[in-house]
Formats: sequence, structure tokens, C-alpha cells
Amino acid sequence: MTQPPNPNETVPGHDSPLDPHEAAAMLDQATQQARRRFQPNPPLLNVFRAFVVLAAFGSLWLSVRGQHPYTGPSGWAIAVAYVLVAVVIGWSASALKRSGAGVTGPAQRARNIGIGVLLVGWILVYVFQAALYKAGAPHDIVYGLYPATAPFFIVGLAGAANSAGREDWPTTATTLAVAVVAAVAAFGGPIDCWLIMGIGLCLAMLGNAAFTVWQQRRSVVRA
Amino acid sequence: MTAEELDPLIHVPTRLKIVATLAALPDGDALSFTRLQDMIGLTPGNLIIHLRKLEEADYISSNKTSNGSVSITRVALTGQGRAALDAYTRALRSLLNGL
Repeated sequence: MTQPPNPNETVPGHDSPLDPHEAAAMLDQATQQARRRFQPNPPLLNVFRAFVVLAAFGSLWLSVRGQHPYTGPSGWAIAVAYVLVAVVIGWSASALKRSGAGVTGPAQRARNIGIGVLLVGWILVYVFQAALYKAGAPHDIVYGLYPATAPFFIVGLAGAANSAGREDWPTTATTLAVAVVAAVAAFGGPIDCWLIMGIGLCLAMLGNAAFTVWQQRRSVVRA
Repeated sequence: MTAEELDPLIHVPTRLKIVATLAALPDGDALSFTRLQDMIGLTPGNLIIHLRKLEEADYISSNKTSNGSVSITRVALTGQGRAALDAYTRALRSLLNGL
């Protein structure tokens, strides 16, 4: 059985000659399409992440606002945060799998190892929280300052170091911004640190999304 | 500079798309034949012909691995291929600036 001809397909040896304008347009189009399809953090996902962190940290802040003495976020706020984070993890894993399909090599391997190390680091940060609780640290540290800021400070710095090693500067800038936001938010105290984190992380994600859009649309010929 | 001076191996729609797609990957990373075919939108036979021309010029390298009954071909842009695309892009830019 023969396949129907594809009108968009060029026949070897019969590729029509390109004029420079056509060639420039084609080079830009192919580059931009490839950049979009190899992008593990698509702008839409980062915009979604931005609103998720704002909603999750916003609900945590609403649930602790006005607490005297500080007891920590309420069950409903933690449940909202967990559900939103689970959705983000699902979408992120799917985007990562799609962008890396069929891609192999040292950079891909380094990226996967980096993600694995960050996940282990993320878990260890929460193990340390349990140690703080066991040591009798006050509630405003164990259920406030530490869980709101420490995971993002530590994982943000580790992510920045990993991305810088791969010369992935947009991710380095974003993860460094996450660590800076966490350091600044810690000065807000156990209650306001949740709100500062929500707003700061939202802005960092939106900034990354805007930069990725610009980078994907940037012309390689008219640079 | 004239259009005739552009690298004739790259200055063909299909091969331009192939090289631009592979150049979007980090240096040293390779792409499977099936994913490349999906991204370029060619039949396997046509893609093989274009890849062979690029490989003969040492612009790309290919590597075939087999895992039991399944064999996977991976294609990567070589340093020479990346340099050729950079030179092509620069030539195209100066040509357009002169128009």
C-alpha cells in the first residue's frame, strides 16, 4: 500500500531554491518550533505555577493571620496547598517527559541527575523539620518560618548551582530569585512570611514565563 | 555577498529545518530518528536521504543502538555542523542587511 503524498513534504533533489528572506523565515520558524518543543518549563506551565503558589501561600497566610499565639496553618489551607502542588507536579512531570522524549546525551543526563538531587534535597528539608519539632523548637519556627522559607531557600540555591553548571542562565536567575525571596520573606516573621513567599514566588515564575516567551520568539537571523 | 555563496548543503528547506532543529539541543545531545521525523514531518525514506548528505559532510553524526528487537537511531549535530549553521546564519544576516 502506498502512502498518500504529503503536500508539505519536500522531495530530495527537488527542494526549491530559497531566497534569503524565505531562508531567514524558515530558519527562525524551525528554531522557534524546536525551542518550544524542547522546553521543559513552558511559559503556560510557569504562569500556572505562579498562580498556584499565590493561591497556596495565600490560603496558608489567611489561615494563620491573626493567630496569637502562633499555632500554624489550618488543615483546610494545608489541604488546598497539597492539592494545588500535586496538580503542578503532575503537569511538570508530563511537560518534562514530553520535552525530553527521544533526547539523550550529557546535557539531558546532567539535567535528570540535577532534578533527582533536588527532589532528595526537598525531602531532606522536611526531615530536618521533624528534627526541629523533636528538639522542641517553637511552633512559629516549626510550622511557620521554617516550612515557608527553608525549602525554597535551600532548594533554590541548589537549583541555581546546578543550572549555572549547565550554563542554563534563565533557570539560574529564577532559582536564585526563589532563594532571595525566601531569605527576604524570613524577615516577615512566621505569619507574613507566607504572604511574602506567595507574592515573591509568583513574580519569579511570571518573570521566567515572560523571559521564556521572549527567548522562544527571538529571531536567530535578526539578532 | 550573494545568495549563491550560502552553504548549499544547508540552503535547502528540509536540511535547514533538520540542522536548525538539532541546533536547538544543547551541545553533544542527540535526538532519536523518530522524534526528528515527527518534528520535521518527513517520511523515513526522505529523512534518511537528507541525513546521509549531512553526515557525509560531517555536519551530523548518527548512532544506532539496539535493545533486543528494537533498534534506535540517534542523530546529533557535530561541532562542524554547528559552526556551519553559525556561518550560514551570519551570511544570511549580512545578505539581508545588504538588501
